[in-house]
Amino acid sequence: MVKRVLIVDDHEPFRAVARQLLEDAGYVVAGEAADVAEALAAVAADSPDAVLLDVQLPDHDGFSVATALKAAGGPAVVLISSRDADDYGRRIEACGARGFIPKSKLSAAAFAALVE
Amino acid sequence: MTASTLVAFPHTGSALRDPVLVLPVVVAAGLGVGWLGADAEASGPRFAIDVALAWGFVGTSLLALGRARWRRTRILLGASAFALLAADLRWARSDGLWTLGFLLEALWLALLVHFVLTFPEGRPWSRLARVAIAGAYGATLGGQAIGALLDPRPRDVLSFAANQRLADAVDRVQGSLGVALSLVVVLLVVRRLLLLQGAARRAQAPLLAAAVLTVPATVLWLVWVIATGESDPTFETIARGTALLVPLGLVAGVTWSRLRQTEASQLVVELQTEGAGSLRERLARALGDPTLDVAYPLDDGRYIDAAGQPLELPQGTNRAVTPLTARGEEVAVLVHDPALLDEPELVESVRATAGLVLENERLAAEVRSQLAEVRASRARIVAATDAERRRIERNLHDGAQQRLVTLSVALGLEASRSGAATSGTLSRAQDEVEEAIAELRELARGIHPTLLRDEGLEAAVEALARRTPLPVTVDGSVGERLPDAVELAAYFLVSEALTNVVKHAAASEATVRLEREAAMLRVVVADDGRGGARLAADSGLAGLRDRLEALGATLEVVSDPGAGTSISAEIPCGS
Repeated sequence: MVKRVLIVDDHEPFRAVARQLLEDAGYVVAGEAADVAEALAAVAADSPDAVLLDVQLPDHDGFSVATALKAAGGPAVVLISSRDADDYGRRIEACGARGFIPKSKLSAAAFAALVE
Repeated sequence: MTASTLVAFPHTGSALRDPVLVLPVVVAAGLGVGWLGADAEASGPRFAIDVALAWGFVGTSLLALGRARWRRTRILLGASAFALLAADLRWARSDGLWTLGFLLEALWLALLVHFVLTFPEGRPWSRLARVAIAGAYGATLGGQAIGALLDPRPRDVLSFAANQRLADAVDRVQGSLGVALSLVVVLLVVRRLLLLQGAARRAQAPLLAAAVLTVPATVLWLVWVIATGESDPTFETIARGTALLVPLGLVAGVTWSRLRQTEASQLVVELQTEGAGSLRERLARALGDPTLDVAYPLDDGRYIDAAGQPLELPQGTNRAVTPLTARGEEVAVLVHDPALLDEPELVESVRATAGLVLENERLAAEVRSQLAEVRASRARIVAATDAERRRIERNLHDGAQQRLVTLSVALGLEASRSGAATSGTLSRAQDEVEEAIAELRELARGIHPTLLRDEGLEAAVEALARRTPLPVTVDGSVGERLPDAVELAAYFLVSEALTNVVKHAAASEATVRLEREAAMLRVVVADDGRGGARLAADSGLAGLRDRLEALGATLEVVSDPGAGTSISAEIPCGS
């Protein structure tokens, strides 16, 4: 049962909206991170059940984080991006994430469908 | 850098005024008159041969004058002629002249060795050659001087220590030294013959070969001296006679070069009728120098080859640089083996006959060079455009798109939180924003496709195929990643072609084929539609043609009415 979620996105206003959206649905936002380094530190510190992970981050891409977390048996990862799944080809499947949601289609239901 | 000017050398007018050459002529004339009153022992045939030899040497000296690099050798040739005649002073009635003739008897041999081993530039070929020359002078002049001291004959005015046995021994030592030196000369000449190449070999080989041929007769004469302790007049005359082979070799070399020159002229006539593509090769053949390069000057002082590629003129002495001018203007520069400087007439004849072809070739090379610059500049413009496109796509994504996405999610959230009254309005607003995001995304993709950059051509084309509202099959493979410009051109071609299929072709399906063949990427987009498409000047494909041409690619459209359309491009993509 996924309860605690880490939000990783470099756009602060988006993180705020995502937090409200998840909290409205009963999730606990374990933390927020703006780049890969912060995200990896937050996973280690807060051990969330799931990570809502933006693909395009300032220091690296979300795929590398998803791959690293999968390899370490870490939390479930849901990738989000303002681009389409089509723009990333096979990388989404290959990185070991639970799934991908275009940011504009992000909803608690879509998130739950992938992590539960 | 060795440079030569293409001015023909002055002819025999100035050569006859050369004192070195006039001297033996005067001596020969004097002896001719003096022979009438010469000693009874005097040999008519021997004297006739000597006069002929002297004239032969003098005549060939005139030839040597025709070549700038050979001019120093005329002194030695003239001196040899003089020495050959001086030996005949032994038939003079005066004892003093007899002794002088005795002293100078074999000097001609030393001078000939000196001439051969310093030919053609007047410097000894090597240290061993220098030693051999010094040895030759020592054995001839020194040997005869000692001989004069010991010789008991009454006519010898220097006979201060007359001793027949010792004099014979000196003769034998002198002969042995001569044989040894002859062998060294053969060794040096053969080595030189093997080292020479091209024009130099042509001009010098006959003389060197002649020098080798004279050795057996000389050795025979000297061996006789060693065996008997005295010189045999017959063998000596034969040895002196064969010496004429050396100047004859000089003549043969010059003649051979001249024949080559005629051949070169014929070749150049050929040049003017056939295509000028291989001008360099034909000139190289005409001049007998396979290493020949032709450089063409640009106005800014740089040089280019026939293909328009920049070329540096060599510095240093192992390559010679000869400018070819027409009407006072430099048309081309030959970069060649310095030995060609021995045949200025040859180069001159090439200049005279190939001048027009060279001038045309220079203009063509200049155009090619400019074309290469334009191509490079076009490639730079395309690359700069691509970089700019990438920046715009990134800005759209990071800026407007990001904000709209946040707005859309916020609207969705508010719609779910609010009551039925406002939720409809909020949902409609969210739909509008979604629409804007989709349009923006499509725009960004058209500007610069992220997938292409991250995943390569195949993945990007497959994504294009999926988004096309028509069944599209993608086959073939391109292997590893290709240069950015190539991938972008191929991607935009497929994108534009598929857009046209959807808009105009009324096709039921399309195929995209990507093939990599060595250094060529082949892209084909075909459909089963109505055909009859043309490459209109204002179409998107025509715009793409510039991008393709900047890469040296070709674009072909085959579209017969009713037979579908096939658009193919071949893009060079490095190795």
